[in-house]
Amino acid sequence: MKNMKVLYDNKFMTGLEEAMKQDGPFSSWELFSMAYEAELTTMTSDFKGFLSLKYLPHMEFLSHQINAAQQVIENMNGRAILADEVGLGKTIEAGLILKEYMVRGVVKKALLLVPASLVNQWVQELNEKFHIPAIAHRKNYSWEQHNILVTSLDTAKKSPHQEQILEIDYDLVLVDEAHKIKNHKTKNYELVRALKKKYCLLLTATPVQNELIEIFNLVSILKPGHLGSYEAFVKRFGKDRSKLKENEYLKKLVKKVMVRHTRENTNMNPTKRHIETVWVTFSKEEKSFYEQLDTAIGSIATFAKLTLLREICSSREACYLSMSKMAEKNPELKDSFHPFIKQIEQLPAHAKAEQVVRLINQFPNEKVIIFTEYRASQLYLQWYLQQNGISSVPYRGGFNRGKKDWMRQLFENQVQVLIATEAGGEGINLQFCNRMINYDLPWNPMRLEQRIGRIHRFGQEKDVHIYNFAIKDTIEEHIMKLLYEKLGLFEQVIGRLDSILEVLNITDMEQEIEAIMKSSASTGEIKIKLDNLSSVIHHTAEFEQKVGEQYGNF
Amino acid sequence: MAISNLNQFLVQYFRAHQCDIIKNEDGVLVIQLTEEMDRTLMNRPFYWHYMKQMGQAGEPMQLTLVTNLKKEVEKGERIHFGSPRLQQIINHLKAKERFTKLYEQLPAVNRVALHPWLVVNMKLSYIGLQKKDELFSIGLNLVNGMMKTDMIDQLKHLHLQPAIPDFCYTISPLIMPGSGFKRIEKVLTTYIEEQDHSWAEATRKELLQEKELLQQFYDGQEDEDNQFEKELTQIIERYEPKITMNVTNGGMFYLAQ
Repeated sequence: MKNMKVLYDNKFMTGLEEAMKQDGPFSSWELFSMAYEAELTTMTSDFKGFLSLKYLPHMEFLSHQINAAQQVIENMNGRAILADEVGLGKTIEAGLILKEYMVRGVVKKALLLVPASLVNQWVQELNEKFHIPAIAHRKNYSWEQHNILVTSLDTAKKSPHQEQILEIDYDLVLVDEAHKIKNHKTKNYELVRALKKKYCLLLTATPVQNELIEIFNLVSILKPGHLGSYEAFVKRFGKDRSKLKENEYLKKLVKKVMVRHTRENTNMNPTKRHIETVWVTFSKEEKSFYEQLDTAIGSIATFAKLTLLREICSSREACYLSMSKMAEKNPELKDSFHPFIKQIEQLPAHAKAEQVVRLINQFPNEKVIIFTEYRASQLYLQWYLQQNGISSVPYRGGFNRGKKDWMRQLFENQVQVLIATEAGGEGINLQFCNRMINYDLPWNPMRLEQRIGRIHRFGQEKDVHIYNFAIKDTIEEHIMKLLYEKLGLFEQVIGRLDSILEVLNITDMEQEIEAIMKSSASTGEIKIKLDNLSSVIHHTAEFEQKVGEQYGNF
Repeated sequence: MAISNLNQFLVQYFRAHQCDIIKNEDGVLVIQLTEEMDRTLMNRPFYWHYMKQMGQAGEPMQLTLVTNLKKEVEKGERIHFGSPRLQQIINHLKAKERFTKLYEQLPAVNRVALHPWLVVNMKLSYIGLQKKDELFSIGLNLVNGMMKTDMIDQLKHLHLQPAIPDFCYTISPLIMPGSGFKRIEKVLTTYIEEQDHSWAEATRKELLQEKELLQQFYDGQEDEDNQFEKELTQIIERYEPKITMNVTNGGMFYLAQ
């Protein structure tokens, strides 16, 4: 074939001639041939295929993640909306795509625009999971000098950054939480559109939230004209997002630039989860202690009191520890705490701990994970289980890598129970275990999902059983009934909650509940407010579900 | 001849840079770096700067690399294809080992004439929707114009040394290295022209489609800041198929007939 554009190497010969003139420096044969070997090893000898996987032997990817990355590279020419439901790993998919392009040598310079609160997390994940030397933009860094920079849209659009960024030819631009650029009249939108970019990835879990024109705007960044001109589009489809469902043609066009997986269409969880609420009743002594604590302490703030109430539902130790700490900080509390501290020492074994032992004894040959919110409870449980002839090991986020691995190994091979305080962070995989006790419930339902995700994940072969403990007539009952059960959070996968909260502008569920607790004067008030919160979430969820049926499942 | 045994490759690399291998057991390597290699790999310019200012020698570090990924180790860096350390070593090799001049080693018996060869290891990259590379090792005899492919594999069987052996002499080239290089480029260009380039066709087709879409998009629309032209340039850049030639390394080799 003639008239192929060929770019020649015009530097090498000058370099060699110069070296000949100076008589050096020359490479030894050994190093010379090693450089050749290195080139042969790192080059990409085929158009097709996915090279980056062999560069990431420490990672286990899910099939839909590899599939998404491959689709973007092979069918979408590296310009796509990644719109998986929350929790399916959009970041992982984006990392894979970036890595593949870097391995193939087609991306050297990339700009990642992510929410300010996620900048460090992105940097960390790209470095640790993908060995991509990404860095966060800092004051006085030059945009030109560093190759893989992560920053926020807000920083990028400020002067003089914006001017400098617009001068650079990027091989790849990524926008996380791309719904922030769905409105074409905003500065954010203008900036992303004006950036000089070869490949472009837009990440969002909610590609269409309000109006159909949003999807038009996103697509127009990737492939202007793909959905026609603005006027033609508005004329034909209007602004109603339900049109997306009706119109097969439009749906097909959008599919060409968008990858969307939902939990249902990934085979992530082929096994079932059985969720059971285990109601526990306090012993007489515990109940009276709880009631006294609930009514008697007038001098401490509502929130501090709530903390103590929550803790006594977990273990005497957790409550005792907090009380001593509070008294230390505020000596004036000492007197009002004194009778409680005395009394706490007299309490019998905790009702929940007794229930744990009864439950575990039903499955003497099976592994069980217990999650608790408190370290003091973790220690207590370990001691109490040992008293009852049950072997266990602890697990905490603060353990170093080696210790974590060791604990995991002990759990797999030798002991029956693992008692953990933290699910997040880099995930340990415990698919060999299929029973979990949530000794106390987190206020943030997303964290419960993270916990369950430790065992109910790719590779789990049995159905999983989740036991959620709660004590009757306590604060735990409110959280259980008004939050978890009312929202049906146990039946549905909690992943969806994320996008619902986003619609409601709630960034942190735990803070929201804390705020309710802090601002309420009585238990009755807490109940009403929690109930209201659940109703709003429930209502939004139903509404989104309806709309979701119209545009979802691409 | 790609790297097949990483452990061996690393030992060879560090030995070639005069580093002592303190331990080499079951995929765990402990290497005593030299100052030069410490400066190259350990990224601590301030340490060396400070040491020089104090008039002290400084102490190069020891590096522990673990190539056996299944091995449980207390300390040490795990190194594999794709790990930043190997990337660094490979980049160091590619950047530094660009040029060479070597002579074939011969037993010193009688006078032997050595022919000058220009050897070029050239990487062709085909860049369209996707990208692939091809690596050629080509040798050109600068006296009689003979050209050989897979030159590096033939050189492997010889003993090569940096200085001219006793009793040997070199023949002056009839072809200047610069025009020799042009000959090599020409041969590769012909090779390119003779290939099937359906990948480039597919890329051009995509380019046309994208151009049309873009035109439709801006048709009748106000375009104040000339966004259309900008997008068009980007599309051309993205989709225009091209082939690049980049020399990995090369040099002059003086070989007996």
